[in-house]
Amino acid sequence: MTGIPSAAAAAAPALALDAVALRYGPRDVLAGLTLSVGAGEVLALLGPSGSGKSTVVRLVLGLAAPDAGEVRVGGALVSSAGRVVVPPEERGLGVVFQDLALWPHLTVRGNLAFGLSARGVPRHDRHRRIDAMLARVGLSDRAACRPGELSGGERQRVAIARALVLEPRAVLLDEPLSSLDVLLRRELVIVFRALLHERGIPALYVTHEPREAAALGDRIAVLEAGRVVQEGTLDALRARPASPFVEQLLADLTPPGPAPPGPAPPGPAHG
Amino acid sequence: MGAHTLEPARWWRRRQEPLVLAVVALLVAAAVLVPLVSLAAGVFARDGAAAFAVLGSPRVRTLFARSLALAAAATVLALAAGLPLGLWLGRATFRGRRVVLLVHAFPLFLPPFLVALGWFHLLGRTGARVLLFGPAGVGAVLGFAFAPLVTALVALAVEAVDPALVDAARAVARPARVATHVLLPLAWPAAALGGLVVFVLAFSELGVPLFLGVTVYPAEVFVRLAAFGNLAEATALCVPLVAVGWLVLVLERALGARPLAALGLRSGLRAPPPPAAAPRGRRLARAAALSLALAPALLPLAGLAWRAAAGHAFAHLGGRLGDSVATSLAAGAAGATAITALALVLGHAVVRRRRVAAVADALAVLGFVVPATVLALGLVAAWNRPATRLVYGSLAILVLGFVARYAVVGVRTFAVAVAQASPHLEEAAAAHGGSYLQRLARIVVPLHARGAVAAWLLAFLFCLRDVETAILYYPPGRDPLPVRIFALEANGGDALVAGLSLVQVALTAAALAAVAALLLVRRRHPA
Repeated sequence: MTGIPSAAAAAAPALALDAVALRYGPRDVLAGLTLSVGAGEVLALLGPSGSGKSTVVRLVLGLAAPDAGEVRVGGALVSSAGRVVVPPEERGLGVVFQDLALWPHLTVRGNLAFGLSARGVPRHDRHRRIDAMLARVGLSDRAACRPGELSGGERQRVAIARALVLEPRAVLLDEPLSSLDVLLRRELVIVFRALLHERGIPALYVTHEPREAAALGDRIAVLEAGRVVQEGTLDALRARPASPFVEQLLADLTPPGPAPPGPAPPGPAHG
Repeated sequence: MGAHTLEPARWWRRRQEPLVLAVVALLVAAAVLVPLVSLAAGVFARDGAAAFAVLGSPRVRTLFARSLALAAAATVLALAAGLPLGLWLGRATFRGRRVVLLVHAFPLFLPPFLVALGWFHLLGRTGARVLLFGPAGVGAVLGFAFAPLVTALVALAVEAVDPALVDAARAVARPARVATHVLLPLAWPAAALGGLVVFVLAFSELGVPLFLGVTVYPAEVFVRLAAFGNLAEATALCVPLVAVGWLVLVLERALGARPLAALGLRSGLRAPPPPAAAPRGRRLARAAALSLALAPALLPLAGLAWRAAAGHAFAHLGGRLGDSVATSLAAGAAGATAITALALVLGHAVVRRRRVAAVADALAVLGFVVPATVLALGLVAAWNRPATRLVYGSLAILVLGFVARYAVVGVRTFAVAVAQASPHLEEAAAAHGGSYLQRLARIVVPLHARGAVAAWLLAFLFCLRDVETAILYYPPGRDPLPVRIFALEANGGDALVAGLSLVQVALTAAALAAVAALLLVRRRHPA
């Protein structure tokens, strides 16, 4: 059950934020942020800690309301200034948080089943979709396990599977790989990219890691101090960086194209 | 997309949280405010001006000042004993530390007059006359009885301190300096909260002053009602008590929500590292601290046990217990269940900072900080009517009183459990389509089942020890065990009363053992 009419979703961007502003006390967290994610597109939102990335995720999910501006999902207005128009549970989105937020008291199957049953998917269909998704992420034999019994990589797979099994309008990934070691991160970037592209599900991938953004994003939006300072493909950004900040942020990436993330070279971290 | 265009199913999904919260808030308001408002209305309806004249009498003013002084003395003593013990137990690593804390805390879950009774038997009549009877004895008994509250809050606060902070300080300073300059300032909000609660409990206390022959302000209210049947004057005497309760509520709010986290079961107690052999000096200090922690808990119990055994009381207990144990257990269980049901909704909403929950939570705190006599009189005024005889004449009135007075215990305990988990767990459930009730039933409550059980057990313990509210309105022939002991104590039969007290001790120990088991069991599902 979603609160967004399907007609509205036909030609509109999957996600759109228009001139969104948000203050926490005296601080402007977001200052007139505008961005959109097209159908089937993965937009990487790249920015250092404190730039407002996670706040964007909260606004899109409906966990907070903007002070100004609008948020749209599939063309339908879901939040406007000071108001959550459509509550989170009716937006039809999927999410993977940084801490994954797997429900520890439920099995892997239970984690995947929750959203399906909440959205009224019949039991038979539910089982079929869960089985197919677990097979796709290689966790068929772990369906009866609880999250505490899984390895770090398996937990990441459950989290992405839990979001995608819902066949959401769009999926939001808030730094899901940041707690992993380099090798596991490299492996999971490949898994995530394959899953997102084969299903054509639009995604907003939030990260502070340029290599992840380059590997996963069809486009990259660079966030600095609450606003998007540049947006485009990796090549375009690298060819004509809009500011020394963007140039510095992308400096670590090896030309000519996106590569899976490797060990970070020494230097100041963005996280 | 206005609400009027929504189909009923979606309308209900969107309104679940505000509606459920409103119902729960109304129930808490009904439990706490109806008695207080009825009390106020009753005074004005019965020639209130004349009744208020009693407030001007020198005797009343003296009693009020004495009660304040006794509560302050008990608070100072509780802080003096509980603060160092809490700092020590929060950092100590010896095996059995949890058991020490539980034994130390045991008197907190007994009606304080039982502790006074234990000291009385231990000291003997002559010793008690010198050391126990009088204001100093009242302050000492209450101070030691409530000190574990400060100990537990400070110990939990100290445990929550990042070990790196202590390690960094230890690199440059001795343990004593680390305790006074790092741990103490960090634990101070918890200690202040503990002091506040001790003051409230001591100020409300009726049984200990009556037993030790000291007339205090709440006793005056009790006497005006029970001996003279003068509800108007008794109610007028409640006005300063309400003012004190309100002041305490304001102070509690000023302390903020953070220290209140320590009121519940933040993490149980962390598992201590393997004990290391301590040098002789430290072993002596530990022995002294252990004595301070355990003696005030165990000695009164030893006094009760000695008196009951010497008087061969155990053979005659059955006849005098009557239904009181069943009444205590039934009313306590029903009260704890009702409190937990409210707490599941309200405790969660408090953590999620819902505005209605903040109001309801403040009312629950008010029910706890308003002196027990006031609340009890309010319940009498509200429910002792022909139309509500069914409630007033049954266990329901006891349950209502327990909910009004101890709802905050359940609410805060469950709130602490919810606050420990990442909010993302629930936000993910919302984003993936779970409505409020689905999230509550399938995520929040199962995830925090341990917190819910802890809320029930703690609420049950508080209901089980209650005497100061129930004594004014218990239904005929359905007196809970503490009330029966209190009544019998006034009529002699030392050994029998000591024996009945031991039954109360056993019931409390069984419930506390369940709490301990809950705390000691490793979390199955770390959030």
